[in-house]
Amino acid sequence: MTKYLIKRILHGLISVIIVVMAVMLLVYNAIDREKIFMQDPLIQKKSSNEKEVYKYQAWEDYGYLDYVPYADWLKELVKNGEITEDTRAAVVKIAVKAEQDDPDVAEYVRRFTEYYEGKGYTVSRLDAVYQTNGATLVKGGSQRLFAYKNVPIIVRMWKYFTGVIKIDNIHYAEEVTGERGIKFTFHDPAYGGDKFSPAITGNGTKYRYLLYFDNRFPFIHQNLVTVNLGLSYSINYGVDVWDTMVLPQGAIVKADTYYPTGFVENSSNDLHTLRYSAGSLEKGGEFMSKRFVDDYTITTTEKNGLSKMGYSFIIGIIASLIAYLVGIPVGISMSRHQNKLIDKIGTAYIIFIIAVPSLAYIFMFRAIGMSFNWPVTFNGTPKAYILPVISLALKDIGGLMRWTRRYMIDQKNSDYVKFARSGGLSEPEIFRGHILKNAMIIIVHGIPGTILGALVGAIITESVYTVPGAGGMLVNAIQFYDNAATVGVAMFYALLSVTSLILGDVLMAMIDPRISFTSKGR
Amino acid sequence: MEKESAEVKELGLSEEELFSHYDHNQYESEKVTAPRYSYWKSVFRVFFRQKINVVVLVLLALIIVFAYIYPAVTGYAANHEEMYNMNAADNSTKHLTPDKAISKFGFSLSWILGSGSQGQSTFDALWYGSSISITLALICALINMVIGILLGAVWGFSKKVDIVMTEVFNIVGNVPYVLIIGVLIQILSPSFWTLVFAMTVTGWLGIAYFIRTQVIVIRDREYNLASRCLGTPILRLTMKNILPFMTSVIVTLAAAEIPAYISFEVFLSYIGLGISDMTLGKIITQTQAFLAVPEWGFEYWSPIIVSSIIAIILYLVGQNLGDASDPKTHM
Repeated sequence: MTKYLIKRILHGLISVIIVVMAVMLLVYNAIDREKIFMQDPLIQKKSSNEKEVYKYQAWEDYGYLDYVPYADWLKELVKNGEITEDTRAAVVKIAVKAEQDDPDVAEYVRRFTEYYEGKGYTVSRLDAVYQTNGATLVKGGSQRLFAYKNVPIIVRMWKYFTGVIKIDNIHYAEEVTGERGIKFTFHDPAYGGDKFSPAITGNGTKYRYLLYFDNRFPFIHQNLVTVNLGLSYSINYGVDVWDTMVLPQGAIVKADTYYPTGFVENSSNDLHTLRYSAGSLEKGGEFMSKRFVDDYTITTTEKNGLSKMGYSFIIGIIASLIAYLVGIPVGISMSRHQNKLIDKIGTAYIIFIIAVPSLAYIFMFRAIGMSFNWPVTFNGTPKAYILPVISLALKDIGGLMRWTRRYMIDQKNSDYVKFARSGGLSEPEIFRGHILKNAMIIIVHGIPGTILGALVGAIITESVYTVPGAGGMLVNAIQFYDNAATVGVAMFYALLSVTSLILGDVLMAMIDPRISFTSKGR
Repeated sequence: MEKESAEVKELGLSEEELFSHYDHNQYESEKVTAPRYSYWKSVFRVFFRQKINVVVLVLLALIIVFAYIYPAVTGYAANHEEMYNMNAADNSTKHLTPDKAISKFGFSLSWILGSGSQGQSTFDALWYGSSISITLALICALINMVIGILLGAVWGFSKKVDIVMTEVFNIVGNVPYVLIIGVLIQILSPSFWTLVFAMTVTGWLGIAYFIRTQVIVIRDREYNLASRCLGTPILRLTMKNILPFMTSVIVTLAAAEIPAYISFEVFLSYIGLGISDMTLGKIITQTQAFLAVPEWGFEYWSPIIVSSIIAIILYLVGQNLGDASDPKTHM
């Protein structure tokens, strides 16, 4: 069993990798890269060479290519000690045309070209663009020199997968005040230092708090292992897709905050999320030194709402629970009273759910809900959950009714049931003891998928009721050409589906002793 | 006995005509008499035995007439943009409820559902949109079914193909369908044929997988084993032994596929990945905003109801035809 499971997991991981590769090929190579600027307001204001350079910068940000301006290369040389700051300042300014370059500048330009062309880059020099009168430059028309190289898919994938899971370590920070190390405390300083609350803190790590408790579900939190699915810019600019899914949303909450200096303030900063940022204490001036003692200064704000995934999950899981509690019993009684009234009503409902576009019946449910005065726009109150949950549940109920009925009726005509009947068992006994158990095996197979699927969210339901859930993320990312987010979300979906299939098989094997994944016993 | 023959005589027939000698015929005696059985005749006999199917078929005929013939008759199909914007300049024609529209324009079929945001006839626009949506669904279902059934049969028969295709299925199945369609629509243009291409490029895989499973179940049954032992070629085995067995399954599948494509098109339009034609999905998406105004709600509910009716009718016809095409019901 273990061997089989390991094989399945490895197999699943390989298919996830191939999925990511396929998605990367689709979004990075198949879509015209100029299209990412279609909804970009910044590019409208730029013109000439500046616009061209802006595009390369953006492409680098979105992971299309590696872009190095001439000035950056010189800075790198200074940093490595190959040239002095004075030389850099002397040669950094290139002339409007290559022929007019200073001999010194020309030499460095040659070296730059040689170095990067040797590495397979394309070096591009944009001459200054003059207005028609020939005297003044057009806006953004100054000369530029840079090198760029397309990132091959293998490199992109390698970078991506090595960066997906990061484990924090005490050598993360470049410079730290005090000694690097990990400390355990019973009295979390973020609560003023008196309250009993165990926490593990680190010095030299990316996050100050590696493990801590607070009053938010699931009460124990960690920052040791972080997930990075790729930076998104369409949903939350510059925030990782994973964080976008799991960080709380809504209005900020203020509470008494005990800063490391002992300063107490009514603030929304969540000190448990303290993150290292080199030199931030110095840059922040008095404001920072009043509150912080070292470079751990970046926090996220505390908000009162749930995360995108949180909303989706709560709605999804309640809906699934209702669906199982209603759908299975109704399906069973439909199969028991085949071709009777309940079966006919149930079948009509199933046909309605299968055939009618989901958008249509969600709006029908919405209209019905409105007549009960239930809120149709989501605001986080318990009442606002009613309609999204019902809309989702009614759909799932249809599916569960359909399959439960189908399996039960198939089982009803099988030989073992006929045998049980000839043995004199009553119909309820046969249904409970024989048919139900066998029919449930396939239903059980879908349970892990249902639970994990709730994390993904429901795209139409959430959009109709304006739930700030995770359902629309993929579509959003595609529409805004947010490649990193598309890849990240697609990988998350693929992982979920692979996991739920494996879990489903395991669960099925657990409840049905006849199913065995090892060749033994067969 | 006497009395009986007397009665026969009263009929005025000679004894030869009533009873004649018949020679023993070896060939005739080999014949097994059974009622004549024609598969498709039986299918339709069973189909029409249920009265509801007649009603459903009449409704289907009505839908076809309204979706394909009505727009051609009114000229909407030929120049729909012109007809759509016919009253755009006149504000008093916009957002009319049916009774107001009829009193304004006089009674005609076009105005029984009122008018829309451009003063256009909701009824005409709706059926023109339906024709595009139904055509799209039919074309996609046809392409996917043909490729899916053919490849599915091969997939089920060959063990080598099975290994490769199962892997392909597992991987492609994990790439979100919305992603493939969204990306393809962005690469190409948001046109009708792009959507057909996007929906069929991987859409057949699910059908092929379904057929593959069915073929595997039937493949090793005794009658096929016997057939193979007698030297039947694989192709004939597939065509004569297996595909007829699956007719009802295929019809049932097609019945669910066609409404699914209509529904999916509505979904794509709603999330903003739709095509530029005025399909049902696009009409629903465009009129959604009018729901906020109580008097305009009618404009939104009309396409919702019509699309629901079309989908249900198509599903019912296919489903009941699928039931009827199962030879087990032909008794």
